[in-house]
Amino acid sequence: MPESATLACREQFRTPGQQRETASIGMWVFLANEVMMFGGLFVAYTVYRASHPEAFAAGSADMNILLGSINTAILLTSSLTLAFAEHSAQAGNQRLLGLFLILTMLIGLVFLGFKFTEYYQHFQEHKAPGIWFNDSSPYAASIQMFFVFYYVMTGLHAVHMIIGLGILSVLLFRAVLGTFTAEYHTPIMFGGLYWHFVDIIWIFLYAIFYLPGLHK
Amino acid sequence: MKEPALSRKQYTFAWLGLLGLTLLNTLIAFVNLGVWNTVIEIGIATIMASLVAGFLMHALYETKVVRIVVAGGVIWFLIFMTLTLGDYMTRGWLPFPGK
Repeated sequence: MPESATLACREQFRTPGQQRETASIGMWVFLANEVMMFGGLFVAYTVYRASHPEAFAAGSADMNILLGSINTAILLTSSLTLAFAEHSAQAGNQRLLGLFLILTMLIGLVFLGFKFTEYYQHFQEHKAPGIWFNDSSPYAASIQMFFVFYYVMTGLHAVHMIIGLGILSVLLFRAVLGTFTAEYHTPIMFGGLYWHFVDIIWIFLYAIFYLPGLHK
Repeated sequence: MKEPALSRKQYTFAWLGLLGLTLLNTLIAFVNLGVWNTVIEIGIATIMASLVAGFLMHALYETKVVRIVVAGGVIWFLIFMTLTLGDYMTRGWLPFPGK
């Protein structure tokens, strides 16, 4: 790196603002790709639900709405603490940045804990698709399909949460080393984008898996 | 090309709005409104997603070119979804033999 280049403005950029905007576009293009990946699953879910509405309503009625709602609130709160971490990074407050990153990761872990509790409950109730699946209703096969979507989509979401926790760990490590200052904190902002995006996915998963079974 | 900077107050209001909409969405789901249930569920979820994208992800405060990229992602998804569902939902409309 030539002497004039800094983390906030590397040699290929004219200004720190240009570097930040470039990073922002790159991150949003990546998130658009993520929209396409989850989008395919949402469309597949829509097609199946349109052709088997009763079975999907029955499957949704087996969801644990209490755990689901609490988990939604937990995930939204983790986004708030991460937004506070971003705010602290912009202000150059490294102590608060570290604390909020740790808090966000802990709240994220609580979310995963509740999620796996739910998976375990469904497994115990023989709702997990596969040879253990057991349902006596006439739509059993379609209800199993509902649970295939449920496990695949919330599972993919959980994988994203685990990746997000990995990203936050790296950011925390770098924050402890003192890399991030009021001038340079782009990785915090765009690590945050990923986490908030995973939040958006959950908002839709909650709406399509937990809510349809409530008004039976 | 200044970096978007929101205050803690703005983040907190967005978060309170999100919690409120979650509660609203859950309560409405207990009432049977027929097909409108699905419309409202997805509608409120979309408003919540816009809140997250606009404020927590500060898309509203980004530069124009970034906002175009964000809108492009959403619009492409809607195009793909419309075309795919347009195919699946209209199958069986015409009485072709063997279908």
